[in-house]
Amino acid sequence: MTKANAPVIEMLTALADDELVIGHRDSEWTGYAPILEEDIAFSNIAQDEIGHSLVWYTLLERLLQRSPDAMAFERQWLDFRCCRFVAYPRGDFAYTVVRQYLFDEAEHVRLEALAQSSYGPIRDAAARIMKEEAYHLLHSEALVERLGDATDESRRRMHAATATAFPQSLGLFERLEHEDVLVRERVFPGNAKLQTAWIERIVATFGAVSITLPLDGSSKPLCLADYGGRAGDHTSDLEQLIADLHMVYQSVSGASW
Amino acid sequence: MAELTGEERLVEFERRIDRGEKVEPGDWMPEDYRRNLIRMISQHAHSEIVGQLPEGKWIPYAPGFRRKLTLIAKVQDEAGHGQLLYRAAETLGKTREEMIDELLSGKAKYANVFNYPTPTWADVGVIGWLVDTAAVINQTMLAQSSYGPYARAMKRICYEESFHIKQGYDSIVTLAKGTAAQRSMAQDAVNRWWYPTLMMSGPPDAMSVHSQQALRWRIKTKSNEQVRQEFVDHIVPQIRALGISVPDQECRLDGTTGHYRYSPPDWEELKRVISGDGPCNKERLEVRRKAHEEGRWVREALQAHQTRKAV
Amino acid sequence: MSDTQWETYEVFHQAKRGDSHEHVGAVHAPDPQIALQMARDQFARRMACTSIWVVRSRDIAMTDYQDDVFFVHTTDKSYRDPKAFDAPDKLHE
Repeated sequence: MTKANAPVIEMLTALADDELVIGHRDSEWTGYAPILEEDIAFSNIAQDEIGHSLVWYTLLERLLQRSPDAMAFERQWLDFRCCRFVAYPRGDFAYTVVRQYLFDEAEHVRLEALAQSSYGPIRDAAARIMKEEAYHLLHSEALVERLGDATDESRRRMHAATATAFPQSLGLFERLEHEDVLVRERVFPGNAKLQTAWIERIVATFGAVSITLPLDGSSKPLCLADYGGRAGDHTSDLEQLIADLHMVYQSVSGASW
Repeated sequence: MAELTGEERLVEFERRIDRGEKVEPGDWMPEDYRRNLIRMISQHAHSEIVGQLPEGKWIPYAPGFRRKLTLIAKVQDEAGHGQLLYRAAETLGKTREEMIDELLSGKAKYANVFNYPTPTWADVGVIGWLVDTAAVINQTMLAQSSYGPYARAMKRICYEESFHIKQGYDSIVTLAKGTAAQRSMAQDAVNRWWYPTLMMSGPPDAMSVHSQQALRWRIKTKSNEQVRQEFVDHIVPQIRALGISVPDQECRLDGTTGHYRYSPPDWEELKRVISGDGPCNKERLEVRRKAHEEGRWVREALQAHQTRKAV
Repeated sequence: MSDTQWETYEVFHQAKRGDSHEHVGAVHAPDPQIALQMARDQFARRMACTSIWVVRSRDIAMTDYQDDVFFVHTTDKSYRDPKAFDAPDKLHE
């Protein structure tokens, strides 16, 4: 690994790991969703997210000479750079919907910015992924709009899920170690800027269903952000998830599957 | 126009079937035809839904990107097939609510195979390869069914099932070419799935009341024994070509008939498993019930949201 | 144990611009927008697709298969068929 590439590698790893881990969580609904049609929908989303991680890992392969399978199925859990948010257990369907919605909005602002990146391969990949993400957003936003304003139970669950998920989701915008270089080199505009754009979008959606987020007058979060993931400081939820992910792959040494 | 008598209608109906014409929703049909079809199609739908579980269990553990994505897509297709089949059954006048209720209450039956456990990764491949091959042989036949909506659903399903078989076969070929541990994993899975798969086509026709009637009205066009023989003839050479043995000493090609002979499965076991007493029946239904109950608030909320908006 | 699986919407799928929309099945959905999304996930995840229509199943009016009078023509209508005309290409050989 060359020193000069370290900032890009750091960012790509975070992007790829976020997608893989949330896709893994989404796939836990395959066979268990509230209704058949939604089962099919979530399985599509899971495939898309995992597919997006594959796009980012493929870019990393050029920089690290390490295959996507090796990155996902051979790396130690502490070497993952996903935010903690994506690794938490899937919870009830309200938590899943809120998490997916927050993630999809973050992806939206992130990809829009990356589609302008000074780094060509990132620009191209972002433009490709953006198209599938747009559909995810349509799907998760439609569910937030409806479940957030339907029955007493659905409102209660959606409020609770948002209260839990919002501080966690700030971890999506945790500062990267090489953030200054990435901003200076115009690889991306920086997490602070992305977070501001993201908050503007989610406030509108949640506001429409009377869910208020803990923000101050200038839209800065008033809660403690659940940081750590970008520095490899993960919770045991990721440890378990990665152990599952690796179980068969690492069960026979030197085997192909 | 003069009303036809019941007898005349039946004659008319059977003539239509003999001419190879399809029966469509809204057509007059004998009550037994309707009942038999609802039973078959809903059982088929339940089998897809319950069938998501034994393989779905392996989604978190699937080794490598390709296998993981493929497995999600495969289990997703099963939900998709269940969806199509429930719809086909609904055209006969039974709601999906009623059918799902019958599944969860344990009243309805579904394919025996999904009540067996999947203790190893090789089970996923073997289900795709053996079980889905048996399913496709049956479903290709059902695509000729006299009931239009069932036949249409089957055409689409057969296409997707061929992906299921290929991915399963591909996974087992990889194991067969792999380490000794992988090869024995594949052999072990074939050993365990052989008889349950043979049972899938149903008991010998002489033992099956439904089968005779279904044949007469071309709900299906081949007997259980024919379908089973087709499966054996197709799969035995494939299994052996991979260096895996068929767990049946009697299994060999009969030079005079051109068909493989095989030992019949234990029909008492099939009866037990179908009527709820297989190794995993309880677990499967409990998982389905739990998912159904946990999803209830979502179904109700989206319904309520629409009802309020419509007011 | 009363349950709701929502209403059904019939799904019409257009594989490419210029083609007709074809009936491919139905989805259970709470409202038209969700029905479109579900139709997309169920019927356009493999098939190429440029457009989907959904319509509430109960809004479809249909003929009755029993009512065979509806489509029957008992008198000669062959004059509406191009094959019924055999005027020569030329008047004189």
